[in-house]
Amino acid sequence: MTAAGARWTAARWWQHVGVSLRILIVEDDDSIRTALRWALEDEGYDVAEAASGEEAVRMVGIAAPDMMIVDLMLGSMDGFTVIREVRRAHDLPVVVVSARADTQDIVAALEVGADDYVTKPFQIKEITARLRALRRRTGAAPAGHQPDGAQAGIVLDHDPEAPLVLREASGTVHRGNQQVPLTLTEYRVLCELAAAPGRVFSRQALLERVWEHGFFGDERIVDVHVRRLRTKVERDASAPRLVVTVRGLGYRLDPQ
Amino acid sequence: MSRTAGRRGLRARIVLGFAASTLLVSAVLVTTTWLLARSYVVEQREQALTQQAFADADVLRNRLSTAGTDVGRVLGELVPFGDAEVVVRSGDDWYSSSLDVGGRDVPRALQEVVATGAAGALRVETADGPQLVVAVPVVSAGVEFYEVAPLAELETLLRTLAVVLGAGAVVATLAGAGFGAWASRRAVLPLEQVAGAATRIAGGELSTRLPATDDPDLVGIVAAFNSMVDALAARISRDARFVGDVSHELRSPLTSLTTSVEVLATRRQELPPRAQQALALVEGEVARLRVTLDDLLELAWFDGAGHVPDAVPVSMTALVREVLEGTGRPVALLDAGPEPETTVLGDKSRLERAVRNLLDNADRYGDGPVRVGVRRCEGSVAVTVDDAGPGVAPLDRERIFERFARAPGSARRSVPGAGLGLAIVAETTAQHGGAAWCAESPGGGARFVLSMPAART
Repeated sequence: MTAAGARWTAARWWQHVGVSLRILIVEDDDSIRTALRWALEDEGYDVAEAASGEEAVRMVGIAAPDMMIVDLMLGSMDGFTVIREVRRAHDLPVVVVSARADTQDIVAALEVGADDYVTKPFQIKEITARLRALRRRTGAAPAGHQPDGAQAGIVLDHDPEAPLVLREASGTVHRGNQQVPLTLTEYRVLCELAAAPGRVFSRQALLERVWEHGFFGDERIVDVHVRRLRTKVERDASAPRLVVTVRGLGYRLDPQ
Repeated sequence: MSRTAGRRGLRARIVLGFAASTLLVSAVLVTTTWLLARSYVVEQREQALTQQAFADADVLRNRLSTAGTDVGRVLGELVPFGDAEVVVRSGDDWYSSSLDVGGRDVPRALQEVVATGAAGALRVETADGPQLVVAVPVVSAGVEFYEVAPLAELETLLRTLAVVLGAGAVVATLAGAGFGAWASRRAVLPLEQVAGAATRIAGGELSTRLPATDDPDLVGIVAAFNSMVDALAARISRDARFVGDVSHELRSPLTSLTTSVEVLATRRQELPPRAQQALALVEGEVARLRVTLDDLLELAWFDGAGHVPDAVPVSMTALVREVLEGTGRPVALLDAGPEPETTVLGDKSRLERAVRNLLDNADRYGDGPVRVGVRRCEGSVAVTVDDAGPGVAPLDRERIFERFARAPGSARRSVPGAGLGLAIVAETTAQHGGAAWCAESPGGGARFVLSMPAART
């Protein structure tokens, strides 16, 4: 299976309209997993469970979930490894559930590819709010919105050899002929920035638009996602020129 | 006697001890030296004078043995030693080499000794100072020979010696005191280091240790002190970790409990009335447990960390407005004042929690907040939460910031919360380099102030 083959597209998302979303819960505590399953099923989600990291990695291929909820503290294979393994071939949103409010753990989970996090003990509405935000943003790029632009797209980097092109209609980003393997959230951050090239977006604004977090959201989520985005879209991630940091203000996209 | 004089410090005692022992030793030495020197010098002088007197008496006898020689003439030829004068008695006549001396200067006791035919010497005190009188009977000539020598010069010499030795003793005493001061400083220095380290440790710098030393007298103290601090630090971190671990362990069951109760709550209508009431009770208690556990974890975090990991600029005006909106309170409570710049460097979610705790506190004990002021004054930003309640008694104003402290008289059940809210406020502001305190609002209610250094712009 190629990475691009399993990758999310707007078209594939639309298949799910009217169909319940499937969530994979990765949690080794039986009570929490069962209670979470009941609560999420009440919310209308289709739920799959994995009680260990190994099972989770296996289940992602079999159950083809649309989203994942991953506990960081699992048995032999921890949550970080699960996310890293899943991210090799999947762009689905991953929400981390951690019993540790430890700041390094959360940043580490985001670094390996988690999209958002909730700390235990949580209320089910906190999780569903996160999931809803992740689902809603997929509808923000309706297919067929730009019937002609779908082919052309927006050129973000006029590199003569390998231009970087964002095609919102198909929900893809290409560097030359190669599709850039962005996760949903990275893609969405890029879209937000590309919507107004040259304009500075504060971390707060990005957090509200992409994650639907309020004033007290964790701005580190934005920083980690921008960092991850840069490694995929910049010519030289150590000297970013496309997605630039504006000191004390936020981020800006400068088309090259 | 004053208390300070009655209880002298270690260093003063060491200095005094050194000074006293030096004084004692030098006094003994000086006195012995002086006495020995005096007896030696006096003996030498007496010996010299006596020999001279015998020699002179010999000359006198030789002269007188020559027939027809007059005592007066012989006396003129004698050259006495130094300032000594010669007095000769022949029968009842006294002859003298000087007009200043005569028979009157010869003590009677000496005359009696000479009368027995023996020689002798005697020290006498006169108005002109001490004199040594040496008596030699010249039997062959039938005269008594006396030599009178003043000892004033010798006395001057001995006095000078005494002064020099006394001065030496004083100098030695002062040097002893000085050495004592130096030695006591050396001795007390390690103690001062220990005191300094202990002060820093008491101030929370648990990583403070005494520097290693190769001084064999101090190695034991340094090792004992450092291992005591190690044990203390281990104990403190173990206590902090225990609270954190317990809270952590409670998280998982509480998560499944919360979620299960929520599953039940969505089916509330399917339950019989009594079960619905029970569910409402459980919901309330689970919520309370969540809050308490959250607070405990927060405090455990403060005990473990102590600095803001990612300080970002936070506008307190915006933060207070967001908290008011987010908790469904009227934004009109905010009194932002004329200064627009109320930015501090800090941890947004923790500051939010502190402000929220103050508002909740006003709800619980003060009939709700009536004004939330945000002011910047001289490099600090202050958030003031006023309520219209009964206020806080001056005696309780510090105590209420302690953990598990609750308003006096409030029944355990009547007011929710475990009394950790204000402790978290205090810890948060302290962590941000500020302070939180309680005062009286102009309206007579309680006023809680949270003050932190403003971010430099």
